[in-house]
Amino acid sequence: MRRRVVLLAVAILVAGVMSADAQKRGGTLRVSYGNEIANLDFTTAPGYELNWVAMNIGCGLLGITPDGAFVPDAAESWTISPDALLYTFKLRKNVLFHDGTKVDAAAVKFSIDRILDPATRSSMRTYYEPVVHSVEVLDPSTVQIRLKQPYGFMLHMLAAYRMGLLISSPTAMQKYTLEDRKAGKPEAVVGCGPFRLVEWVKGSHLVMDRFDRYYDQGFPYLDRVVIRVIKDPVTQMAAFKAGEIDFIVDFSPEHVDTLKAQNPKAQIMTGKETTPMVAMMKITVPKDGKPMSKERAPHPIFSDVRVRKAIGCYGIDRKEIVRIAFKGQATPWVGIIPPGTPDTVDVTHLCSYDPAKAKALLAEAGYGPQKPLTFELLTNNDKSIFNVIATVIKEQAARLGATVHIRVIDKVSWLNVVTQDGPFDMFVEDLASLFTLDQNTLLSTSTAAWNMTRHTDTKVDDYYARYAREMEPGKRKAIAKDFQEFMTDKLYWNTISGSPFYEVAQPWMKGYVYQAEWKVLYKKVWLDR
Amino acid sequence: MRTYILRRLLQIIPTVLMITFVVFVMMQSIPGDPVVALLGDAYTEEDAVKVRQAYGFDKPVMVQYFIWLGKLVQGDWGNSILSGRPVLKDVMVRLPVTLELIVLSMGVALIIAIPAAIIGALRQNTWADYTATSIAMVGVSIPEFFAGVLLLLVFSIGLHGLLPSSGWVYLPGTCPTIVCGISVWGNMQHVFMPALALGIGRAALLTRLLRASMLEVIRSEYITTARAKGLSQRPVVLKHALKNALIPTVTVMGLQVGFLIGGAIVVETLFAMPGLGTFGIDAIIARDYQQVQGFALVTAIAFVVINLIVDLTYTFLDPRIRYT
Repeated sequence: MRRRVVLLAVAILVAGVMSADAQKRGGTLRVSYGNEIANLDFTTAPGYELNWVAMNIGCGLLGITPDGAFVPDAAESWTISPDALLYTFKLRKNVLFHDGTKVDAAAVKFSIDRILDPATRSSMRTYYEPVVHSVEVLDPSTVQIRLKQPYGFMLHMLAAYRMGLLISSPTAMQKYTLEDRKAGKPEAVVGCGPFRLVEWVKGSHLVMDRFDRYYDQGFPYLDRVVIRVIKDPVTQMAAFKAGEIDFIVDFSPEHVDTLKAQNPKAQIMTGKETTPMVAMMKITVPKDGKPMSKERAPHPIFSDVRVRKAIGCYGIDRKEIVRIAFKGQATPWVGIIPPGTPDTVDVTHLCSYDPAKAKALLAEAGYGPQKPLTFELLTNNDKSIFNVIATVIKEQAARLGATVHIRVIDKVSWLNVVTQDGPFDMFVEDLASLFTLDQNTLLSTSTAAWNMTRHTDTKVDDYYARYAREMEPGKRKAIAKDFQEFMTDKLYWNTISGSPFYEVAQPWMKGYVYQAEWKVLYKKVWLDR
Repeated sequence: MRTYILRRLLQIIPTVLMITFVVFVMMQSIPGDPVVALLGDAYTEEDAVKVRQAYGFDKPVMVQYFIWLGKLVQGDWGNSILSGRPVLKDVMVRLPVTLELIVLSMGVALIIAIPAAIIGALRQNTWADYTATSIAMVGVSIPEFFAGVLLLLVFSIGLHGLLPSSGWVYLPGTCPTIVCGISVWGNMQHVFMPALALGIGRAALLTRLLRASMLEVIRSEYITTARAKGLSQRPVVLKHALKNALIPTVTVMGLQVGFLIGGAIVVETLFAMPGLGTFGIDAIIARDYQQVQGFALVTAIAFVVINLIVDLTYTFLDPRIRYT
């Protein structure tokens, strides 16, 4: 028996060495983004592009695998108290920041306290503030997070909400200013991840080099990662075809077929959608005409749930939209949680396309030939697909006798209108990706700053609270199901379909694991040229 | 001459002031608050107020403009609202790329336009003239983005990556950053398609204009005299006719610089070039006021200076012209 165990151990060791030998070291990975990075302050900069950089420069307490398992990062282990209020993390002793200082419990406390500090203006504060009570340093390598109440998504939040918790170097944070970090000064942008920042030239490139003192010896395989912004998909495809780039993050779904035809050996990666494409209808408007006012009045058209359901539920042929706008490469969907997010339930059958039912509801609400329904559909020119969807909705609404005026504006103006309680009836956009349903509190509780439809139903908040506090996965799933049916019934949130996310890699790029928008990690990537 | 140049250079100041002021007011009057985009989903009204105060957006437009101007006089072009990067530094990184693109596109335009116009004028109403005129018409009709996409499809995809589709390689000694591609050949490869895409339209326009001027000039008495004196066709055309015919063309070339800067925005975006055009358009889209002002300032100066150079070339083309 003992001999068998020894043989097994030797076999595993040999297999490990052989597989490690198979990976080639060195080389430069050339990556293309479709959008520019806003700035390099990990705590405040908006946009996924920065997240995809930050998660390679920074390290956190833990990570997550595509199948949802939590894996150690700077923390080698952790325990959760039976009352689910204390999370204790034991840190590795050999983790260094790029500035040479040590990653210890004090640095973890510093990082979480920074997020909680309103002066930091961290976008993560929305999640941390309601649940984190305090952080305590038990010893240099042990840190304990005390929660205000049990929270079923603590590890999810630490691992992957936005870019996950990235541990900041207190030394670098105190030495350099916010402006230094935003501008991408390499000495100021310090992490403990596998790559260190070499240079960011806005509009041109971002360069990261291997951090030689990375705690996970042997990683990363690459010497360098160079990220360039190529906004035009045709140029992206040309650069890919010519072998000028190795990897495209967030490739436009409309061009996938063309790229496949041009590059039969390309690795085209996608999965179930985690981002919803929505056609949101405004529920309330400010009573006093002042945006964001707490005094609310019903929206003249869509405060009536019959009209919402007539237009948004039975009046929208989601399959047709997917066929025309996405060339079939998306899932028609109604639920508030996209198809790829855990605890999702397909409630699309509750809103199957039924123009007769839609017309009847409109008639019941007082709309018809005598009083035709007319509303404005607001969208932006950030992605051409929004306008295609808006046009199809206009056509579908016309079949119900409703007139839709499409207004296309630029993204910044659009953001101002929809997030700042500006005047709109309906808008089309693909919103933030959802790692968990809990993450959507940011956009849909009645009190959320970005509650764009401005619904005032506190039942929504109750559902979210119950869901977040439930520690038992089975019960949580049941709450999620009820909630999705409730939201489909009320239509405070109107999903059209999933919004697919594609990544494209050259055949020689190996070791990359697709994790949707959540994780774009180069640590284990190697080049087999 | 020196006085004239000095006077023209001084004229830059009111021109630039006027342009930057108009741009500033226009940017402030279009809807869209950059603070909303800057704060993203962490937006709160309290934070927005603080950020607006920090950037001076809470002050009247005129006050904001004079604050910007005051800093400019001290050499401070401000920092980008979104990226926090110094505007002047980013402008200096991007300016050489756009300047090279514009100069080479104008070169492309002239290389095509001059022979085509001469042939068209000398062989008026022949197949050669019709061909040159037709090509010119096609060139005028093709927008830069369309020409650019066609070139991409031919040279980068069709001919198996003969030319790089995007990015930039610097000429030796011009790399403004830590990491650069540096090579003369690489630079030529990268600039060829963008310069051609931008230059074709200008070539067509200049061909038509120069042909018309040439037709007028070759019918002049002094050309007849030159021929009567026994001068061969070559010196008559190149030395006497072309030089005079070029004067209106040169004027238009100067004015075309403005269009070239506009075209550079499209071409740089298409070919993902780190130039001033993409810098400007990104700034306008993001309502990055400081960056827009930097863009307006540098393009205004470039426009005025290039037109000054154009005016000075008149003295070379026509020695009778004297500036005092």
